[in-house]
Amino acid sequence: MGWKAIHRWLGLTIGALAVVLGITGAILAFDPVQQAWQAPAAPDDLSVATLVERVTRTVPGAEEIRHLPSGAIVVFGFVGDQAQAHYVDPADGRVLGAWQPSALPRWVKNLHRSLLLGDAGRWGAAGIALAIGVLCVSALVLLLRRMGGWRRLAARVRGSLAQRIHVVTGRVVLVVLCLTSLTALTMSASTLGLVALDAGTEPDVVSVASGQTALPVGQLSMLQNLSVQDLRKLNFPDAADPEDTWKVATSQGEGWIDRYSGKKLAWQDVTLAQRIYDWALVLHTGEGAWPWAVVLALVGASVLLFWLSGVFIWWQARRQAPHITGNNPLAQADVLIFVASEGGSTWGFAQALHDALGHNGHRVYTGALELFQTTAATRQVFVLAATYGEGQAPAHARHALERIAKLSTNTNAVPVTVLGFGDRQFPAFCAFAEALEKTLRALGWPALLPLECIHQQSSQQFARWGQALAQALGEPLVLEHVPRMPPTTTLTLVTRQDYPGLVDQPTAILRFAWPAQSGGAPLHGHGLAHFAAGDLVGIVPPGSAVPRYYSLASGWEDGFLEICVRQMPGGLCSTHLLGLQPGDHIAAFIRSNPGFALPRTRRPVLLIGAGTGVAPLAGFIRRNDRHTPMHLYFGGRNPERDFYFGPEIQHWLGEGRLASMQTVFSRIPEGGGYVQDALRRDAERLRDLVAQGAIVRVCGSRAMAHDVAATLDAVLAPLQLSISQLKAKERYAEDVF
Amino acid sequence: MSKLLLTTVAAACALAIPALAHSRQLTLTAQLKNYGGDGAYLAAYLTNAKGAYVRTLWVAGGKAKYYKHLSDWNRLSSGDTKRLAGVTGASVGAGRTLKVTADLAAALIDAGYEIRIDAAAEDMRDSPSEVRVPLSTGNAGKPQAGKQYIQSLTFQLQ
Repeated sequence: MGWKAIHRWLGLTIGALAVVLGITGAILAFDPVQQAWQAPAAPDDLSVATLVERVTRTVPGAEEIRHLPSGAIVVFGFVGDQAQAHYVDPADGRVLGAWQPSALPRWVKNLHRSLLLGDAGRWGAAGIALAIGVLCVSALVLLLRRMGGWRRLAARVRGSLAQRIHVVTGRVVLVVLCLTSLTALTMSASTLGLVALDAGTEPDVVSVASGQTALPVGQLSMLQNLSVQDLRKLNFPDAADPEDTWKVATSQGEGWIDRYSGKKLAWQDVTLAQRIYDWALVLHTGEGAWPWAVVLALVGASVLLFWLSGVFIWWQARRQAPHITGNNPLAQADVLIFVASEGGSTWGFAQALHDALGHNGHRVYTGALELFQTTAATRQVFVLAATYGEGQAPAHARHALERIAKLSTNTNAVPVTVLGFGDRQFPAFCAFAEALEKTLRALGWPALLPLECIHQQSSQQFARWGQALAQALGEPLVLEHVPRMPPTTTLTLVTRQDYPGLVDQPTAILRFAWPAQSGGAPLHGHGLAHFAAGDLVGIVPPGSAVPRYYSLASGWEDGFLEICVRQMPGGLCSTHLLGLQPGDHIAAFIRSNPGFALPRTRRPVLLIGAGTGVAPLAGFIRRNDRHTPMHLYFGGRNPERDFYFGPEIQHWLGEGRLASMQTVFSRIPEGGGYVQDALRRDAERLRDLVAQGAIVRVCGSRAMAHDVAATLDAVLAPLQLSISQLKAKERYAEDVF
Repeated sequence: MSKLLLTTVAAACALAIPALAHSRQLTLTAQLKNYGGDGAYLAAYLTNAKGAYVRTLWVAGGKAKYYKHLSDWNRLSSGDTKRLAGVTGASVGAGRTLKVTADLAAALIDAGYEIRIDAAAEDMRDSPSEVRVPLSTGNAGKPQAGKQYIQSLTFQLQ
């Protein structure tokens, strides 16, 4: 069982009980704060003898004085038959008010330390404390793994909201939580009798009455020399028992004093175990250190946050985890299929291959590529690998190449066949699959078939590869892949705003409405997911199984879904969309684009868009209710034909949602050229904005994004900054098509 | 030194006498006040006419860690290695009643011996010698109030 499994299962189960301890602990931290608020602190140089003299004047029946961790002085005594306890002011011995051990009901503490179950419950609570400790240690291992080592521990956290909450909070409170668990175990060890704190039995000492009367307290040298700051507890000798002694407890130990001679009769040093316990008590409860108690309260309450976000992360991962039906245990399988997939679609192909081979009697195992390995039973291995972004591996498989290199020996006899998935529109088509192929061959693994790359999830191409595979294996094999589509929602076109665009490329801004749905529906995977400007909508044109993605120019809050669609020559989906009339329907789903979405920020935002790429940027400006300074650079060809969202942008500029706008048009005289020309002209201003911490978003064609990045690199060079640095800080993101 | 010897002799006598003389059963009933705290630790024990420890009658509360809060009993009985043998039970909640029995040598009655109870509760003040009652036939059946925790202590002899 790995750290991740330990963390997950311990967190999901015992985590729920840890929430009880966390919340009650947070409530209990109220006590030290409240007591510190009440207590008048004793002056530094006050001797215990003086304090006792003052107290005996004001509290006649005094029997015991305690110096509480909060600094307050409490005097215990009797009035008649009634036991009393009062705060007193050490400055003059004045009685300030009645003392209560806690402002909270007893059951809060008992719930915290024993779950209201007595001794069995104390063992249970100690077990939970231990579990929290294990959770902290596993969390640290996972945190280091996630962030990439100690040095990158403070780096930005990526991922879903729940993941960010979990990791960011964890980074802050992990150490305190771990300390809390350790101190809880220290305290439990003594309470449960595993460690003895005492210095043994008390000495058998008596005051020896030799005719004299008891010394006045002012003449007891030991109490004269003891500062109230060091005092813990002082017991007066019993008036009715002539042999009784003074007993004083300090942080160093306990002493007994003869009431007649004032001599120290005995002294016991505090044991090491007791010292450790005292420290653990302060660290665990914040007693006498109210700022620490506040920290502990926050950390206690954070346990609830951890648990909720943790449960949510687990549940999300479960929902999104690819599920292979009819999977076999790895050790018994003769065919292994490993998958690297970014969006999840490659798993559908893996399932088709899995089923076809299983149909032929093979025992097939399918798993994620990061689990790559072979066993004695393995006869064939297939790797189905998609490529992410600029030729990188999908996130989950980013360490797969290293793992394969590490696992490989010189007896790599089993054929490993790679099948790539990608899109030829991207320059790094199937780059990750190619890297895998190269690595495997270099390590000496044979292949049953050479690398094949499937374009745009083509089922036909996949079926053809299946025929080649059937021949190579010498057995009949039919690969039928039915694409798994995310559940779609029917959207209705409300309005369309047509632009002539350029020759043969009409363009329209299409605004859709979605059907009414209950608030919880998107959470349960039904209905349209919530979205923001910059996210993507996937649209499945009739007659195709492959969705096309468009950047959203509106957010859920706007109440409509808006995209800007340009006619692509021969484009199935754009033709379909541009043929729609108000009232017509499409099937669509949302795909989030977390890297591109704009964080809430007060820093300036630089928006750079060309052509229809202005759509998500327009969405950002539309929702800029807080008037963050946004600066738009828009590049078109002709203001008469392709200045998309032109009137709206002018309007937002007037409203202050947009701080400034620069437009350039490449196909008119004096148009200003391309958007990167405008950037170059404004170099000084851009450097200013970036120096202020500006966030940059670029949307447009791949070529445009490339040129913009090159231009900005040149512009920012004097600042010793580059686009890759900004990207690493998540200040620069592109959405390209 | 002499005191320890005395204590030992007295304890030995107390344990040996029942075998020689006939014994009587002592029933202790302690009714606790509603002092508003967690369960109280109580130690009931017997001292002789000189105030020396004789034997432990009952200890309510199981954690040795807290016995130092029953300070008189803890100090006086420290030499008695069998002080807990067969005479321990759970701590007693506020407002509850503790009822225990012990066999006593008849010779201890009306001989200056005293029943003492030390009491303590968490976060509250220790009460060594919370209540002291002479072990005499005249006191039997008479309720006696404690200082802090005990509403009334009654003993019966049979």
